[in-house]
Amino acid sequence: MHAMPKIMLGGIPIDLSVVLMLLISCTVVFVLVMLSVRNLSVENPSKLQNFMEWVVEFVQGVIGSAMDLKKGKPYISLGLTLILFIFVSNLLGLPFSVVTMAHEPVTVFGHVIEATKNLAHGDHVEILWYKSPTADINVTAGLALIVFVLMNYLGIKLNGKHYFKHYIEPFPIFLPLNIIENLAKPIALAIRLYANIFAGEVLITVILKLGILSIPFLAVWQGFSIFVGALQAFIFTILTMVYIAQMTIHEEEAH
Amino acid sequence: MDIVWTNIVFSIVAFALLYFLLSKFAFSKLFGIMEKRRELVMQQMDEAAKTREQAVAYVEEQKQALNNARQEAQNIIQQSQITSNQQMDKILEQAKSEASRIKDEAVRDIENEKNKAVEELRSEIGTASVRIASKLIKKEVSASGEQEQLVDQYLKEVGGRS
Repeated sequence: MHAMPKIMLGGIPIDLSVVLMLLISCTVVFVLVMLSVRNLSVENPSKLQNFMEWVVEFVQGVIGSAMDLKKGKPYISLGLTLILFIFVSNLLGLPFSVVTMAHEPVTVFGHVIEATKNLAHGDHVEILWYKSPTADINVTAGLALIVFVLMNYLGIKLNGKHYFKHYIEPFPIFLPLNIIENLAKPIALAIRLYANIFAGEVLITVILKLGILSIPFLAVWQGFSIFVGALQAFIFTILTMVYIAQMTIHEEEAH
Repeated sequence: MDIVWTNIVFSIVAFALLYFLLSKFAFSKLFGIMEKRRELVMQQMDEAAKTREQAVAYVEEQKQALNNARQEAQNIIQQSQITSNQQMDKILEQAKSEASRIKDEAVRDIENEKNKAVEELRSEIGTASVRIASKLIKKEVSASGEQEQLVDQYLKEVGGRS
């Protein structure tokens, strides 16, 4: 099992690999998008602009399937950022990962990495530096938390008393059930994404133990992982939109 | 699977930052361009529809004009037929009247000529017969007016019979 390169900075734990991977992921997405909007043109779009417009239309389709596209217009940017960030994050860990072996305490920026602090003599620990950021439950939990806060905030803001009324429907006794349902949404979002990507990377590590024989399996599994990465990004985005739609749109005919 | 609360905070901050940067610098421009393209396409489609409508109207107009021209041509042909018929009748009439006039004149001329010739012949024959008679009877018949008158009267009777 790999350890995370966590250091304590004045009592605050900081996982350096997550910081690094978030930085890389955000940079890749940002550069990709900025490159695609570099020479915007109405008549003669570049290939990258075409691609980005295709993504925009795809996200519009996703939002349109969840809610009225007129109401969903403000969420296009959110959906785009989500799908791009998660997709890029899912793919980042596929080509390789960086693991260092530590036989003695390792210090970074003058701080000792927690996992290497109390190493017995002759013992070692593998520190995972480079991985998919979405293969870390903390990152997916962060994303899910954003979605959770956002959907409840939007529900209260746009739906008013129907939002609260929804918790005691169809009967007041359903209140705990509805609260659990609401809480289960972000947890399911976070764990689904994390588990898919983490499992993919674990399987890559396992396949690599086959040595030279692993090449065909690796090829198949990496290809499938790209598919899974895209699928999970899509699922996360569409579920976000569905949740927002559920919370913000009060259906008259349903009551 | 350790939960590290700072990681959650970091990822939230990173995502929020990415979201704001992208919406500010990239997506707004991209959406603007897409909206512009949509408008352009709509405008072009509108224009195409309008042009098509105009073309249809134009064709209709042309058809109408062609029909009108055909009608007019028909009218002109009919008119000209009528006029030509009228003209023909008129010319025929004229020719007929001219012919009859010429014929009448000719008949009158012939009558005149004949009368004149008869008159001349009569006077010539009168003088000639007087001369013959005077040669035959020499002195017995004087060239007095009495005999000549007689002869003339006789000749008139002859001419009247002929």
